[in-house]
Amino acid sequence: MKPCIASFGILLLVVLSVLNTTGQTHGTLKFTLIHTANGKPVELNTTTYNTPNGEEYTIKKLRYYFSNFKFPGNPTLEDADNYQLIDQARSTSFSIPVLPGKYTHIEWLLGIDSLRHCSGAQEGALDPMNDMFWTWNTGYVVFKLDGTSTSSTADRNRIEHHIGGFRFGQNVSTPLSFELPNDRPLEITAGKTTEITLHLNLDRYWKSKETILIARESVCTVPDALARKIASNFPYLFEIEDIKVHEN
Amino acid sequence: MKINARIAYTGALFLVVLCGAGLMKPTPRTLKVPEGWPAPNKNLFSKNPLTEEGFQLGRKLFHDGNLSKDGYVSCASCHQQFAGFSTFDHDVSHGVNNTFTTRNAPTLANMAWHSAFHWDGGVNHIEVQAVSPITAHNEMGETLENVIAKLNADSSYPPLFKAAFGNETINSQRLLKALAQYTGSLVSANSKYDKVKRGEAIFSNVEQKGYEIFKAHCATCHKEPLFTDLTYRNNGLPLNRFNDVGRMAITGKKEDSLKFKVPTLRNIQVSYPYMHDGSIFSIPQVIDHYSGGIQKDQYTLDPVLKNGIAITQRQKYELMYFLFTLTDSTFLKDPAYGMPTY
Repeated sequence: MKPCIASFGILLLVVLSVLNTTGQTHGTLKFTLIHTANGKPVELNTTTYNTPNGEEYTIKKLRYYFSNFKFPGNPTLEDADNYQLIDQARSTSFSIPVLPGKYTHIEWLLGIDSLRHCSGAQEGALDPMNDMFWTWNTGYVVFKLDGTSTSSTADRNRIEHHIGGFRFGQNVSTPLSFELPNDRPLEITAGKTTEITLHLNLDRYWKSKETILIARESVCTVPDALARKIASNFPYLFEIEDIKVHEN
Repeated sequence: MKINARIAYTGALFLVVLCGAGLMKPTPRTLKVPEGWPAPNKNLFSKNPLTEEGFQLGRKLFHDGNLSKDGYVSCASCHQQFAGFSTFDHDVSHGVNNTFTTRNAPTLANMAWHSAFHWDGGVNHIEVQAVSPITAHNEMGETLENVIAKLNADSSYPPLFKAAFGNETINSQRLLKALAQYTGSLVSANSKYDKVKRGEAIFSNVEQKGYEIFKAHCATCHKEPLFTDLTYRNNGLPLNRFNDVGRMAITGKKEDSLKFKVPTLRNIQVSYPYMHDGSIFSIPQVIDHYSGGIQKDQYTLDPVLKNGIAITQRQKYELMYFLFTLTDSTFLKDPAYGMPTY
């Protein structure tokens, strides 16, 4: 059936060329997250750390959302790329397409915008199956830190920090903003991958703007004043460790 | 082969590819807005276009016990059609493993006009409502992962997901959107009251007197035509054994203590017991509560109830006969909303 094969071939070419025209104009920005506590890399369950406040703890879960990436003059992110879940147990890196350019200012949200909190059933990073979703009071946990501590007075010495809240007066999602020097901007090149290494220092989670004591504040699972107090340390958690362009 | 045959071949091939890629569209379905009613919540189906296939899938899911841990508890277990989609004759409902819920299952009717769900309004979109009962340990006690695995293992579902959403992928978003298409489509607007409003029936003398009493004393909160103004109010019930503070648990504001969403009165005749905790069994007892049982020392008590509702014994029964006219037997028996056979 030669004509059939021929027409299928033509169709395939058409489909491929359509696919090919998308994506070519973008570069890739790969985020790699390094998590440390007490100067040591974060390992779940096995390692004991000390907070800067002198309290011992282990970590069972460490998850948080990044969203609403903003690169000046680059409004073209696909919806799915604009919401990322970082999970120490599953994935601590992700890539997003970014228009080529030299960026000296980048920002995004640690958390999720309020509009998306009110938009019904979501998929991908925002799928309620990711165990970052409150069912009884709609909303996402935007930062989750579970563990144990001898300082905790809660059941089984647990630490359960499920930090969320998006309504007026309850919002914990925090813009993270980074200025880069003019001579060393974030450079995105079409067809290439630029990798940005971000360091999350959990010491600052326990002590930066506010001091969070496990003995006093081991459990936070509702969008209350304690959640906002903990979130007031969010702007201090991350710093850029390295930026490099891969020749791929 | 001739040129014409070649074109025909290519055309047929295109059609096959289009079908394979799921570009054959499901049949659009329209939400029927009763005449004279306000516009439904425009966000409800804005990202979930209502289709015949989506509704039918949601209808099957709603009646499927496999959405629960033990396979017995479906959405319809606690939202029974004949009881106005509430739990008939139960103050609180049963969950898996003989557990009990802590609130009375609300009736489901005209949800498309609501913008928040549950007695405390904690759920802000109809699509995410179902996550709560599916995963609650004292309701269906299941995980979304397990539900999806069970649906994938049931050969009847993948074709239904394909018909509704274009391919056989089953994920939580599609599950929830399909359920929302069904629950959002439950419209009750064919009671005797509605027929009177449309000029197709007339109230009896007693019903008419009851309607006047209703308009004088009840219609502020139970606003027509939904018979709820969708607000949260403290109607003077005592703090119950579950220490359920209602709306305050959602907003964190003490001025919201003991406030609950005003329930619709549609199908009230079949949806007893009443109140957020099912603590009042009959309509006359509900009226007695408003005329003499209100806890007046509560500082969040709704201002309209500060003095209670003065009503005579005779008026109480006139009011009750009016409330019976809100029973929509077409809705309660409509096979299109019932357990499907597919």
